[in-house]
Amino acid sequence: MTVKKYLLNASVALAMSAMAGHAAAECATDSLPASMDGPGGYPERALTMIVPYGPAGGSGQVAQAMAEAVTGLTDVSINRDHKPGGSGTVGMTAYMAAPADGYTVLEHIDDAASAHALDSSKPNPAEDLIPLVTSQITFSQIYIRTEEDRFTDWASFVEWVKAQDGKATIANVSKEGSMERVTMKFITDATGMQIQQISFDKGAPRYGALAGGQVDALFEQPGDVRSFLDAGKFKPILTILKEAPDAFADVPDLVDAGLDFEPLLRFRGFYVNAGAPEDRVEWLKWAFQKAYCQEDYQAYNESKFMTLIDSYRDTDGSKDLITETIGQYRAVYKTMGLEVK
Amino acid sequence: MDAFNNFLTGTVTLFSDPVGVLIFFGGVVGGMLFGAIPGVSMLTLAAILLPFTAHLSPEHGIMLFSVIYCTGVYGGAITAILFNIPGAPENAPTAFDGYPMTQNGEAGKAVGAAVMCSAIGGVASCIVMMAATAAIADWAISAFGPPEIFALVFFGLAVAASVGAKSFWKGWLSIMAGLMIAVVGLDPVGGLERYNFDMPYLAAGIHFIPTILGFFAVSEIFVQAEKKATGSYNAPKLSVAFPTFKELWQHKIAVVRSAIIGFFCGVLPGIGATLAAFMGYNEAVRWSKDKEGFGKGKMEGVISSETANNAATGAAMIPLLALGLPGGALTAMMVGVFQMHDMEPGPLVFLNSPDLVWVVFAAMFFANLSILLVGFLEAKTIVNLLRIPFQYLAPLILLLATVGAYAVRGLTIDVVVMFVAGVAGFFLRRSGYSVAGIVLGLILGKIGEQTFAQAMQMLHFEFSGFLNRPIALGLLIAGFITILASVYGAFFKKQPASTGTA
Repeated sequence: MTVKKYLLNASVALAMSAMAGHAAAECATDSLPASMDGPGGYPERALTMIVPYGPAGGSGQVAQAMAEAVTGLTDVSINRDHKPGGSGTVGMTAYMAAPADGYTVLEHIDDAASAHALDSSKPNPAEDLIPLVTSQITFSQIYIRTEEDRFTDWASFVEWVKAQDGKATIANVSKEGSMERVTMKFITDATGMQIQQISFDKGAPRYGALAGGQVDALFEQPGDVRSFLDAGKFKPILTILKEAPDAFADVPDLVDAGLDFEPLLRFRGFYVNAGAPEDRVEWLKWAFQKAYCQEDYQAYNESKFMTLIDSYRDTDGSKDLITETIGQYRAVYKTMGLEVK
Repeated sequence: MDAFNNFLTGTVTLFSDPVGVLIFFGGVVGGMLFGAIPGVSMLTLAAILLPFTAHLSPEHGIMLFSVIYCTGVYGGAITAILFNIPGAPENAPTAFDGYPMTQNGEAGKAVGAAVMCSAIGGVASCIVMMAATAAIADWAISAFGPPEIFALVFFGLAVAASVGAKSFWKGWLSIMAGLMIAVVGLDPVGGLERYNFDMPYLAAGIHFIPTILGFFAVSEIFVQAEKKATGSYNAPKLSVAFPTFKELWQHKIAVVRSAIIGFFCGVLPGIGATLAAFMGYNEAVRWSKDKEGFGKGKMEGVISSETANNAATGAAMIPLLALGLPGGALTAMMVGVFQMHDMEPGPLVFLNSPDLVWVVFAAMFFANLSILLVGFLEAKTIVNLLRIPFQYLAPLILLLATVGAYAVRGLTIDVVVMFVAGVAGFFLRRSGYSVAGIVLGLILGKIGEQTFAQAMQMLHFEFSGFLNRPIALGLLIAGFITILASVYGAFFKKQPASTGTA
């Protein structure tokens, strides 16, 4: 079974295929030089990439895809060192303890920004680290089962939830203050819905809970539930963006639903310690940014629904994204009554 | 009939492709070896191979991992039996009776029973998997939500409290100690840090693999070293005599019961082979007329644990393939293999890639069968490791266990945890506590707390909600009856609840 044939089974996938062609035509870092010599023979040995999550999840996969793309571009090997646990805390701590010599890089997600927003003693990814590239940016949606008959779209869902007097349920991640939880607070505040969020740490039981009818809805990003979308098991009823991408043009976005808040994004990127030698950092920036446009990496991003919105930020763009995100989280944490240190 | 024809097609496809055959046998041998070498496991092999599967076809990549899964779960039994080092958490109950059998000079019988029952459990679950994957997957996720899984965990803990300790209180205290260790790290509801004493690495919690290595392998080395120092050490008698067919046939009911338990646990996402093995063992104890014999070298203990954990392998493929829901670490890595080929496991796999599905099914079936052949040959060889004098073997095991503990997450604290557990296990075992109970409390505590929190959220924080869920209610009642029975046994029948010394 070829990838193309696989994609033909869903209308969403068809839209993706069309966008993929566009993405292949031009890419964000095409203007960077095709090669760049490292300073003073650097790197003389393999790089280490610390990944604060397991190898099978979204972070583990993007780390592998980027490491292979960088190696394909530069012939420099990258050893991935997975240090999962504590919502990324363990990997970040291990990374900050590693020598700042430019031989160790870090993969991390927006959790690093929200952790710093809550507790400023935790590293600020825009200041204590230098973002080499942000290579995946995605958005969230609310899903229901396709066969659901109690409600069929966003409007009927909101109406039904309100009638349940707080007994409706939605599967979500567990961590208080996370992008998912904060976004749900935005939604419930804006709609006046009362909905019980059921805490699931891992994706599989979370998706299983909706598929098995244990919960009424699911909060997730489209790339993570793509198999359920392609199979027609789940359907999105709200896209948490101000303007829905073409692939989900028929799904209401925040404007359509009358929800007025700034959507939070999920993003994954690669970093180096801010104390690393400047010339080495420049080479790393080139390598990771150029690798973003390698054919294999782009194909990977397309397969994960990561080209529906602009998924690329260079160093300055990443810093802006992170700083803006930290500000958003700080503001909402205060309104949630969370202790911001 | 369709399933049988598809199976034949899958078999022909598998064995008519020389590269496929090579990968199949590589997976069979690799899984067994990595499962059997102390300190590393099938997960180590899978993690090493994961990036390379990008260069294989999807059929070969998924088939390789599924074969490693089948044979790796069996391979971990060998070290559990010979050295009291479970190759994986799901082999821990195998050590309860397997290792005492080795000490009693029955290593060959224990390994033979593990080989035979792993194959039976695995083949049985493969057959059910091939017959009704989609239907079973749908039933499992709709019938078993967090309240049911919590009730199952509660029942498992209630049964386990009577296994391995010298008294009722020591059994429960062992379980409670495990539950206390399980709460270190992030809480499953709000993601808040608990009991990490401002140590960032403890925010990740205490991992059960270094804990198992410490409580089982390290503490055992301390026990044997003490015997060596005091002159009471007896080298285990080498034996390659496998169990007779008659001996195995006597345990047919235990095999069937454990296969059903294993399949049932395996099909639940996030539960898998570990709970299967413990439940299989616990039920064997519960239904046995000779409860006192467990933990002292009873073949039925090995049979129950190994049948159940291998029965869980085929079952775990059901939610993975039918719904894209991995049940454990290895099946989660399989999702990675799918995704590397721009595919997602789930309902469309059956529709779009039936060739892949049936090649994988056929490969798993024959991998389980090959446990019989390769397993016997391997076992005949590996039992000879017992010839190595203790003073050479012990440092080697400690070294491999240290590597294994560190390899889980690349954290030094895991090595520290292993040695602390080793020292604690040494003293706890002397005092009649159950290190198995502690490990089970740790493993099930994490699942139990998470599912209890989810259940309470779903039931709007009303315990009465369990009354409306018959399966959960039934399991809770069974758990309470088990506790009451053990209280009765401990205080009114005037006999210890002891069933062993694990």
